[in-house]
Amino acid sequence: MSNIENQIFSSYQRNPDLYDEIYDGEGNIKDIYQKLFDIYGGHSIQDYINLNSKAKASFFNQGITFQVYGEDNVQEKIFPFDLFPRIIDTEEWEIIEQGSIQRAKALNLFLWDIYHDKKILKDKIVPLELITSSANYLDQMNGVNPPGGIYNHISGTDIIKHKDGKYYVLEDNIRCPSGVSYVICNRTALKRALFGVFNHYQTHTVTDYAENLLEQLESVKPKGVDIPNCVVITPGMYNSAFYEHSYLAKTMGVELVEGRDLFVENDFVYMKTIKGPQKVDVIYRRIDDAFLDPLEFRPDSALGVPGLFSAYKKGNVTLANAPGTGVADDKAVYTYMPEIIKYYLDEEPILNNVHTYHCSRPDELEYVLANIPELVIKPVDEAGGYGISIGNRLSEKEIEEVRKQVKENPRKYVAQPIMSLSVHPTYIDDSESFEQRHVDLRTFTILGKDKEFVLKGGLTRVALKKGNLIVNSSQGGGSKDTWVLKKQ
Amino acid sequence: MLKEYTVTYRSDNVYENWVHDAYWQFLILPLENTTQELLDTDFSNSIHAINQFSINGFGFNTIKVHPKKRFKQISFEAIFKVLKSENKEIKNVSESENKKSLEEINTLEFKINFERFLKSTRLTLLPKLETPLFQFNTNASLFENLKLLNNWVHVFLKYSPGVTDITTTLDKVLLQKSGVCQDFAHLFCAVCRKNGIPSRYVSGYLNHESGYLGDSQMHAWTEAYLPHYGWLGFDPTNNVLTNSNHIKVSHGKDFNDCSPLKGVVYSQGTHKTSHSVVVKSQQQQIQQ
Repeated sequence: MSNIENQIFSSYQRNPDLYDEIYDGEGNIKDIYQKLFDIYGGHSIQDYINLNSKAKASFFNQGITFQVYGEDNVQEKIFPFDLFPRIIDTEEWEIIEQGSIQRAKALNLFLWDIYHDKKILKDKIVPLELITSSANYLDQMNGVNPPGGIYNHISGTDIIKHKDGKYYVLEDNIRCPSGVSYVICNRTALKRALFGVFNHYQTHTVTDYAENLLEQLESVKPKGVDIPNCVVITPGMYNSAFYEHSYLAKTMGVELVEGRDLFVENDFVYMKTIKGPQKVDVIYRRIDDAFLDPLEFRPDSALGVPGLFSAYKKGNVTLANAPGTGVADDKAVYTYMPEIIKYYLDEEPILNNVHTYHCSRPDELEYVLANIPELVIKPVDEAGGYGISIGNRLSEKEIEEVRKQVKENPRKYVAQPIMSLSVHPTYIDDSESFEQRHVDLRTFTILGKDKEFVLKGGLTRVALKKGNLIVNSSQGGGSKDTWVLKKQ
Repeated sequence: MLKEYTVTYRSDNVYENWVHDAYWQFLILPLENTTQELLDTDFSNSIHAINQFSINGFGFNTIKVHPKKRFKQISFEAIFKVLKSENKEIKNVSESENKKSLEEINTLEFKINFERFLKSTRLTLLPKLETPLFQFNTNASLFENLKLLNNWVHVFLKYSPGVTDITTTLDKVLLQKSGVCQDFAHLFCAVCRKNGIPSRYVSGYLNHESGYLGDSQMHAWTEAYLPHYGWLGFDPTNNVLTNSNHIKVSHGKDFNDCSPLKGVVYSQGTHKTSHSVVVKSQQQQIQQ
């Protein structure tokens, strides 16, 4: 079937300057997409509109919603879901999987080192200032040995495909990366809407995430505990990722708790239950370091548990991820990732890093100030895509403003060349047709004691606004089901 | 010479409404080290809640209290018996030894090992000034410079209780040129760190019968690290090296690491809290 006969793709406009995930360089549909393309082409656009609205309703009815901070009238939104899946073949996936594990392991060793002997600093691979000036470096973690030697139990790695066809990592999220529940819900929604398409592909399942997560949490139980009691702690129902917290607790079969449900007695953590206190051994925490324990960190935290950190320090409870992992999540540390991987693993990085200019270095600052229109300027310590300036989208006046900000506080900024994220056909409501939209991929890597696991799928995020490069859900992004094909 | 002390710490708390849940952490136990021995600890509270002996995030011993019943009023009383000896004497340092120390301080290894006590915090941040407040004399030894700094802080700030609180930053302290012991300690630490010498804030008890300045609460002083000696105590409020009149409890980057009492109290309305510390040496008690 040729492109023209395919009615739902008849108006698809392919910009040859962009890397399109479903077309090869000559403008032909890639083999792995052909079957899917044919099946979708058998539907009319009206069928598609109907299916799409059903899928949306299904998300809303399941309560899979989130909130955007900083808007005046906060409301629950659904994370827009696109029915046209993204397919990753076996060979490419191997690279992504091995690359994600490599980074997670290197970061774990880095964290151990900077909270113990600090050899990487003494060997001058990473500058001392990176640690001393980081707001996320926790002095209290010095010399602490987390159970199983694991700091970043769960890592979310944001990966893109550039127009050169290679994968690049944009960010390693190792504080409380979110999004994994969408991966599983997207699969469910697609199965409900278009079950038949799965008959034509051998796709890896994504529903094994919860069992792997639980197994990992149990593997890092405190010393002397036989069968650990694990819980998920959430800041509460007003948190933007509350759905995910409850989903993970439910699918792991463990309790979902808030700070007020726990208390600490003689440096052990207990959960209040109607049958009396029940000891807690492993906490998958979805609250930030600063809010964990009002006696140790922010005294005004109503989300945490007084005395929790002492219990952790004494080795009576495991926190996943460990406190203080945020120091390695810093965008300035990202820029040293190739060196960090080489230093600890003696390996070449499997996934590329985007070249980064450090505004804290005078010569690089000079380059950045002179080339703002060709660069992306990022604050080193903001999450969720906030505060990012994309040089070629700025007016003269805005460029001047960015220049002023960077000049005033160079340590706060890094700059990178503007990466061209690959695009993928995405159904757009307003035009009732398929259009090219930029996509990225967040993989979820689990490290446990002698255990590593990458969810075979991950979250493909779509920048829904035309031409937009920022895919975060808080910035109006959507998502796609992501298929990893089994070996033939 | 050994001195035996009895330290009495008291805290009284009165709440307008019922308190339904509360957690307290006391960082008030005298430390055990080469010059201090804790002979006896007695800690009690007026509502007979159980004491939990624990540690804080930096590993210092703490007492935690988590009452199981509601209350409107609670008092805590701690009585410690401490045996205290003088510090080991600091010998005159030869010029070559001093030079070696200076070289060591400038190595990357040293800066990494002591990074925690070399970085400035919100409370030990010096405002940008055109001329430095206090300059180290390059002809004098490290130890002499620290003594000069101790003297300078003592002279520069006037001791006046009530003009600052635990959140006061150095720009305000420098402007008004007055403060209490923690402001003296913060200023000393800030200048030390600016000159590459690790220094830490120390919280503890002062023998009130010694005639030293310090109110009837916990005292604050500092320690600076000299490669040829180790950590050495300076009390800028009194312009002395610390001695057998200083009973140490904890140290940290600044007051926030050493806060003697932290609490999370679930109650509405106003409350009143007061603290008092009485330090008596055994010898003097016998004389009475």
